Amino acid sequence: MAPAKDPGAATSVLKAPTGPTVPLNKLAPEAALRSLELTIVRRLEGFLHGDHLGLLPGAGSDTNDARIYQPGQDDVRKMDWAVTARTTVPHVRDTMSDRELEVWALLDVTPSMNWGTEGITKRDLGIAAIATIGFLSQKMGDRFGGLLMKPDHVTRLQARSGRTALYGLLRRMLTEPIVPDNAPGDLELADGIEQLSRSYRRRGMRVVVSDFLTAGDRELDPSVPPPWERSLRRLAVRNQVLCVEVVDKHELEFPDVGEMLIRDPETSFMRYVNTSDASARRRMDAASKAQRERIKVALRRAGAGHIQLRTDRDWVADIARFVLNYRRVASMLHQPPQGVSK
Amino acid sequence: MIGLLAFPEFRTPERLWVLIVLPVLVLMYLILMRLRGRVSLRFTNTGVLGAVMGSQRRWTRHLAVAMSLCSLVALGLAWAQPLGTEKVPRQRATVVMVVDTSLSMEAEDVDPDRLSAAKTAAQNFISGLPDSYNVALVALNGQPSIKMPPSTDRGALERALLGLELEDGTAIGDSLALALEAVDQAPVGDNEEPAPAMVVMLSDGANTVGPDPEAAARNAKQAKIPVFTIAFGTQNGYVDLDGTREKVPPDVETMKDVARTTDGRAVSADSADSLADAYKEIGSSVGYEEIRKPITAQYAFGALGFAIVAALGAVMMAARWPR
Repeated sequence: MAPAKDPGAATSVLKAPTGPTVPLNKLAPEAALRSLELTIVRRLEGFLHGDHLGLLPGAGSDTNDARIYQPGQDDVRKMDWAVTARTTVPHVRDTMSDRELEVWALLDVTPSMNWGTEGITKRDLGIAAIATIGFLSQKMGDRFGGLLMKPDHVTRLQARSGRTALYGLLRRMLTEPIVPDNAPGDLELADGIEQLSRSYRRRGMRVVVSDFLTAGDRELDPSVPPPWERSLRRLAVRNQVLCVEVVDKHELEFPDVGEMLIRDPETSFMRYVNTSDASARRRMDAASKAQRERIKVALRRAGAGHIQLRTDRDWVADIARFVLNYRRVASMLHQPPQGVSK
Repeated sequence: MIGLLAFPEFRTPERLWVLIVLPVLVLMYLILMRLRGRVSLRFTNTGVLGAVMGSQRRWTRHLAVAMSLCSLVALGLAWAQPLGTEKVPRQRATVVMVVDTSLSMEAEDVDPDRLSAAKTAAQNFISGLPDSYNVALVALNGQPSIKMPPSTDRGALERALLGLELEDGTAIGDSLALALEAVDQAPVGDNEEPAPAMVVMLSDGANTVGPDPEAAARNAKQAKIPVFTIAFGTQNGYVDLDGTREKVPPDVETMKDVARTTDGRAVSADSADSLADAYKEIGSSVGYEEIRKPITAQYAFGALGFAIVAALGAVMMAARWPR
């Protein structure tokens, strides 16, 4: 007989967890992630000189248009001799400014995230995803900030640069008190995303970490947009948006646990359910699949990158796989709407 | 199991007080159901869950509890030793056959005629009785007489039966009194109580001479002798006496009254076949007695059945989380 294994996060199916289910140093292998790079395709606006392509002309390494030389204003070292020779008019070559990246991560910490059956809760998996993406975007001067979306308000964690600051942010997220079940407040994911797009006008990258479930929502038709899609689309107009969908194995495969009283941590739902009914479980699995499909379609419509992480899988491997593929598809995926500059 | 349906008698009814525990248990169950803080499974996606599993039967989860309660009820009743009635063959008895030999028995509405049919049927009835029974024969007419005192000698009895002759008059009351006398003549062994006695009376007409049969019936009642009566003949039977045709319908009412007074049974027959049936019906009352016996085992079996269903229900609903 196998030794009794530590239930880990599995107790969260009975009551809300009291603390983090994963320690800070296990969130992401920092050294291993140095060789990976998160592709940034949108132009950035920043204060500082960084490693990413900026929106406006300025000092940088990337060449832009040639324009007529203005004596006394332009540096003669920037002369574009080829264009000058062709046109017989002195030209200088402009460059685009290189800017730093500002990443803001919105973490959904509503009670439905305090759940997990496989050693880690969805909330802690979300923090781990933020850690992994954070270490991937640790170039010169890049800043990383966080927002915690609770049912009654959104907590803002200041964006700072450097790995020490990132560790500080992750520790804050881990030690943030767990939101109890049925906590008062009616903030939904759409409100959190709205706040994210309102508060930080400067272009950059936005990461939304949630299970994208709306409490009590039973819609399965992908042509009906979820309530958060509109806000997400607005956020994606000026920002490169990455959505991390965290799911648990047993949200996709409904467990067989006999006759059970099942309640929802966010709504007043409480009902006896016979989970041993095989056909009902099949229907539930099919419905969950359709629901995830709807989320996927909605995220794609909103022009956001989509990573699905599962509590029973290695999130670092999943994110690395995503990043490698992302290099090829990012420029297509994050195409801005017509009339908005890249 | 028929005894389970009607509320039975109990050998120790005071033990039924144990059943008071059951309402207390039911009350506790209801209170616990209402209490908050029950063990429940948190689940995030209940919107879809509620939509998908909307129509699940809710009674199944009360089934185990209800079955347990039924089992406890049956066990409580079993502990109080319920009594059921059981039919056991009598070991010994005295049966007095009263056969009508009045002139009306000449009527030919029953094939071949009433008396012959009655003789055949009585013969069959007697041969069906156990050998240990004392059987007497009384002829019922204007001057009733004991044709055969109670004895186990079947040969003599049959000869007496076949030798019955038609005579004038019908004295039901007198013949009943005579039948009671015949019961007293039954041989009683040493250290033995008199065997239980009963009278089987076959008659086809109304009382014409002698006292009212009711008085004799009351005497029989006092002696605890049931009288089983057979009203024999059809309503339009007739006999031709001295050139006049007289109707001789059986007096069903008198027969019924006598049977009712003495805790016997009244049957009527209007043909040779139905007479045989009537004797058979009476034979089941004569040959068997009902005694009270504890039927605890039946109740315990019922409790076992309920307990099995309850256990299956409990196993079905058992939580298997986490695996």
